[in-house]
Amino acid sequence: MLGGLMLIVATIALLHAAYSTYEHLSHLKALGRPEGSLPIDIVCEAAAALVFAIVGATVRSPPLREVTWRSEMKRRALEEEEDPRMSFAKFAQRAGIVPKAPTSS
Amino acid sequence: MEFTFSLQKLAAYQPRQSAKSKATYETGLALLERGGYASKGEEGWDTIEKLTLAALDQGNLEVADKCLQLLSDKFPESPRVDVLSGIRLEATESTETVLRYYDELLEADPTNSAAWRRKAHVLRQAGKIERAVEELSAMLDTFYSELDGWLELADIYASCQQHTYALQALSHALLLSPQNPAYFLQYAETAYLADDVPLALKMFLQTVDMTDDDDGDLAPGDSIPTGITLRAWFGVKLCTRKLITEPRSGSNSASQTAAPNTSNLSLLDDLSTERLRTAYLNLKNESPPAGEADLISALATLVK
Repeated sequence: MLGGLMLIVATIALLHAAYSTYEHLSHLKALGRPEGSLPIDIVCEAAAALVFAIVGATVRSPPLREVTWRSEMKRRALEEEEDPRMSFAKFAQRAGIVPKAPTSS
Repeated sequence: MEFTFSLQKLAAYQPRQSAKSKATYETGLALLERGGYASKGEEGWDTIEKLTLAALDQGNLEVADKCLQLLSDKFPESPRVDVLSGIRLEATESTETVLRYYDELLEADPTNSAAWRRKAHVLRQAGKIERAVEELSAMLDTFYSELDGWLELADIYASCQQHTYALQALSHALLLSPQNPAYFLQYAETAYLADDVPLALKMFLQTVDMTDDDDGDLAPGDSIPTGITLRAWFGVKLCTRKLITEPRSGSNSASQTAAPNTSNLSLLDDLSTERLRTAYLNLKNESPPAGEADLISALATLVK
């Protein structure tokens, strides 16, 4: 939530800085001095918006997932249904470990 | 869902009355009644396909026919719909009719591997095992990367006690999917049944290595083996016991795998016994039986 809030604040600040720049430039044009440098507070506002946006986006990211195949397999083993071809019961029967049931599979 | 992936799933379909299929059936039926599938785009049609399969699972042919009608109206020339119709035919028609249908499909479109696999499946269900094996092998010669096809072939061989052939088929499956420990486990078990005990031992230990949790909460030595790890340790125990009691089985390995030397073998035996006892203690909360044979038969009922 905090991350989302920061992103919103940063977006508003950026839009505000952009609008201020536009206003400032049209002000300079009206005064007949088309090349002037931007006032420093607009620059600071844009830079602060960037920092806020970066921090907010990072905070907002979902929890990281495991990278290894092992963890992926663990997750999958819990979700997927057992393949009846690979069941232990079949192996145990064929290996003669458990006595064969009267109705064989 | 991606096209080839969904075709493969269709190819591997077997009617199974599981709780999951019942749930799919009920939710899908609700969606069908309300007619909301068309608006949901791709997902809606996927749901209709799943509903068809679930309806066939539950034996409700009218719903399956209705869904099939919807799908074939919407997607007229689709191989997926063709294979689905084939599955629907399998439920009621005779073997020859279904085989003729799949033959027609294959003549029209020889790249439809799913139709070929369903043909082999129908032959297997009808009891014509040799023809099924022929068809499946021909299909796998053409489409090497059909992993499920290799597993199916291995299963057919294993059901006829031809464990060495099953082992060969499984080795292809391992090549195609080397990160899945379940296939290693199946390879190990098939090797054990094919009387190649050193190879089985090697593969069981490989499975343990793949599934043991190095970066879990407990060190592997303290953790309790469950699921596939437990099954693999059980296999290790079986192999070490066989190698100790019948030393000849260690030297006539068909794949020329060397058996571990005596001291390593006894260490492995102790380790696997300890792991199995830990698991038994954890599962049943009582002290495990002391004798080896008792331990093995007790665990055989517990392992899943």
